[in-house]
Amino acid sequence: MRHVDILVVGGGPAGCVAAWEAAVADKGLDVLLIERDRAIGAPVRCAEGVGSKGLREFLDPDGASWVARKISKVIFWAPDDTEVNVGGGDVGYILDRTRFEPALADEARRAGAEVEIRTEALNMARENGGWRVRLAGPRGEIDVLAKVVIGADGVEGMVGRWAGLDTRVPSRDMESCAQYIVSNIAFDPDAIYLHFADRWAPGGYAWIFPRGEGVANIGLGMIALKSDGRNAREYLDGYIKRYFPDGTVTGLTVGGVIVATTVKRTVTDGVILAGDAAHMINPLSGGGIVNAMKAGRLAARHAAAAVCAGDTAAERLQRYHDEWMALLGDDHLKYYRIKDALSRLDDGFYNGLARTVNGIPLEKRTLGRIFAHALINHPMLLPVAARFFV
Amino acid sequence: MPATLTARKPHQIAVVDNDLCDECGLCMPLCPPEAIHMTRKGLLVDKEACTGCVKCIAPCPVGALAMVDG
Repeated sequence: MRHVDILVVGGGPAGCVAAWEAAVADKGLDVLLIERDRAIGAPVRCAEGVGSKGLREFLDPDGASWVARKISKVIFWAPDDTEVNVGGGDVGYILDRTRFEPALADEARRAGAEVEIRTEALNMARENGGWRVRLAGPRGEIDVLAKVVIGADGVEGMVGRWAGLDTRVPSRDMESCAQYIVSNIAFDPDAIYLHFADRWAPGGYAWIFPRGEGVANIGLGMIALKSDGRNAREYLDGYIKRYFPDGTVTGLTVGGVIVATTVKRTVTDGVILAGDAAHMINPLSGGGIVNAMKAGRLAARHAAAAVCAGDTAAERLQRYHDEWMALLGDDHLKYYRIKDALSRLDDGFYNGLARTVNGIPLEKRTLGRIFAHALINHPMLLPVAARFFV
Repeated sequence: MPATLTARKPHQIAVVDNDLCDECGLCMPLCPPEAIHMTRKGLLVDKEACTGCVKCIAPCPVGALAMVDG
């Protein structure tokens, strides 16, 4: 049986950064990152958009091969197709995640972590104060004894389940998403488009994220409980037919985005969950890449410190949970309440808001001002705003 | 459900159409008894554990889950 200090399960943004940071935290640590699929970064189940500020905490996007497109504008479409431009400048990037995660994994390797692809965790059980994890890889099955297991295994994660942590999600908090790559279409390739409309994406939104001039990731997320009976792919087919009938459609991607708040317990003895596996997605935007990287970094630091101190008990690892909540988890509780309030508003509200916002000069359009106008028109949002800003 | 009724009429259970399924795993955390597993042959519903609650059916983005007689 092989012994490691830290086993990271899952080679997405959370896992790659966790392995990288753990190796950096202490050169003496044995860090192993395993990824089930044939390549780090594939298959892509994501719209690949990421904010500039958060990304730069980890890697420099300027001139990077893993950037598909730099984004300088955000355009909202109201249900009646009224267009609203918001913000500008250094908004963010559309990544090429088939290259982005390998870049993160390279950093992990260079820092001294070992990375194994096509290797899957089958089960795990407590042993000698650590976890015995059965791995299946290209060379067959082996057991690894890890002092700490970081579960960065995504929406479908099993590490949490095996460790007795509750990672289940109610249907109302699951966005069903479908996305195509569509080429030969006309749009502003420097902007991301977010389209809110119950008939196109009930309980979510449709998006256009440029990959280059004339080609974009076009997708949507919807809440199945609000569906008219169609699934996400059928909604997307309807959307493409209406807005991009002449586009060339390739590359269907589907997946679930958990728009909840962080799971109540992200740690137990010798186990830390990070990223989607711990429901660390922003429930308002559905964005999770930067959150996952920040959680992976925190998880690695706490895991490394716990291993070095010889104490990997839940009580000590709880510091990770507390630090995550202070960093972003508590904000997500607020975003969730806003999401909840917004979900009770109808298309008419958004149409009205869009027209109001278009009356504000472009340079004065901040999200705060837009929210203020929303409050004037819809006092029912006030209790939410009060909780959010107090 | 009373035991006698259960005995007479077994509840329906969820099954995955592995030709349609893209293995995104969205259904897994939706399952209250955690009866859906990712295997090397694709997603699989544990027939014994499935309670027939249908919570996994509608959210599947490609309609790969359906209810059948258990």
